[in-house]
Amino acid sequence: MGEPLVIKALGLGVELGGRRVIDGISLIASGGTTAAIVGPNGAGKTTLLRTIAGLAARHDGELTIAGIDPAKISTAGAMATRVYCAQRPTCAWNYPLHDLARISGQSEAFIDWLVKLSLEEALHRRIWELSGGEQKAVHLAFALSQLAEPFGCAVLLDEPTDSLDFHRQAAVRSAVKALAQAGAACIIATHDMELARACDRVLVLAEGRLIAEGTPTETLTPAVIREVWGVDLGVTPSAR
Amino acid sequence: MKSRAFAFILITLILAAVIASALATGPKGFGWGDSNSLLLLRAPRVLAALAAGLALGIGGGAQQGIFRNPLADPGLTGVFGGALFGIAILLGLAPDIAWQKSWLIPAAAFGGALAVSILLVTIGGRGSSARLLLTGLGLNAFTAAGTLVITARSGESRELLTNGAYGDWLGMATIELTWLPSLLCLLAALLLLLLARPLDLLSFGEDAARGFGCDVPSLQRRAILLTALAAAAATCLVGQVAFIGLLAPHLARALVGPRHALVLPFSGLLGALLLLGADTLGRGLWPQAPLSAAAVTAVLGAPIFIWIARSRHG
Repeated sequence: MGEPLVIKALGLGVELGGRRVIDGISLIASGGTTAAIVGPNGAGKTTLLRTIAGLAARHDGELTIAGIDPAKISTAGAMATRVYCAQRPTCAWNYPLHDLARISGQSEAFIDWLVKLSLEEALHRRIWELSGGEQKAVHLAFALSQLAEPFGCAVLLDEPTDSLDFHRQAAVRSAVKALAQAGAACIIATHDMELARACDRVLVLAEGRLIAEGTPTETLTPAVIREVWGVDLGVTPSAR
Repeated sequence: MKSRAFAFILITLILAAVIASALATGPKGFGWGDSNSLLLLRAPRVLAALAAGLALGIGGGAQQGIFRNPLADPGLTGVFGGALFGIAILLGLAPDIAWQKSWLIPAAAFGGALAVSILLVTIGGRGSSARLLLTGLGLNAFTAAGTLVITARSGESRELLTNGAYGDWLGMATIELTWLPSLLCLLAALLLLLLARPLDLLSFGEDAARGFGCDVPSLQRRAILLTALAAAAATCLVGQVAFIGLLAPHLARALVGPRHALVLPFSGLLGALLLLGADTLGRGLWPQAPLSAAAVTAVLGAPIFIWIARSRHG
């Protein structure tokens, strides 16, 4: 069985408040692969990920996930083809985590993910009592629990390791790898260079445009980093 | 789990006791009276208070859920004001037609409540909670002033509308007047219960909820339509009782936690208990000059509310 083409985007563009936030972005992603979207703040990473998730109000260009335009199917139907975890976790009510397990509708999967992210002891605590990083991990667990079958699905994570400790960052990296091995196409927007380097491919975004695309060693070169972020490789903390 | 079952049994028992004492409380003090006056006079009033309280409680819980805001309440956001304004417009413009069909007054209340709800969402719904509440306060002030103007200008409906503004309509409950609004209260309450899980998903924010497969625009439309219906039907029965929609969900969350599958039904039960209890207390304490349910609710509810706010249950 070959790897299915999961995400196909041609010339994606999004305008917000008269500004082109992303412009002319094309990308394809097959099941079993991981791709990182990197770029400076405001480069359009979140907008690109939201657009692929079918959450942008409108966009130019063509987009299909598992052969379907995500804007043209019901949101419930979209769940079967992709999961999306937003960058900033918020929760309006102070749910105990075991309530979230019920709300997820996938209690076992949710608790499984909590265990993988070292949160099993928090199950009887309430979400507002957790630290920012722990709350982020709970949101990840909730989003990932919604994925019944990774094969042929898109996993779209916006800065999944943001504010997590080293241990949980490593857990997220191996979770992403495991999802890809199970046949999902993972796309991750991130500032975490270690996570980006662990992906099969890297897309470098600046001012809404794709600057470079390829393997981590091809794209995260000193020259590209200097051009896009304006820093010398010698001073970036994650440089090797 | 056990504490939830215990809370449910406790509330149900208290509710049963309150229903019994409400049926037993008459203008001559406490007593069962003859069965005729019991059925004809007290039962419709008790049923109306229960139905309105149920709708107010669940409607308040749903509005807090849809706006992700513990301060959202059909009283504060002007939806009740809209319902009464709708009734006032009908009574002011066409006092002769208003009573000819039993659905005309509920329809006018629903029109007013829905208009305010739609304005609330389009102007204040997408911004901060401050913007939502400021919009609500503005709409509330406008509808209250509109009702006041119509009340002052309409001779024959003046007393009726004044009583409505003070939440004092339960006293005129008869089967003919209350059967339709009571049924609408029940209908809105039951349909709102179906929104429990999407409201839980929405608590993560609109984007996240859509990411989790929740059809947010459709949820918002349904919730706004149904809370407007609940507020309108309850207004037809009681007039304006602002506090129950705020208090009942907070009490419910303190008792059973924030999950909407529990918050909504418990808010409904507590709303019914609070409104009927307040009405009965108002009648029982001063049988000659009964206090309106709204007045008693606020007198008793405000300290409870402040106590809950202090203990900050999510």
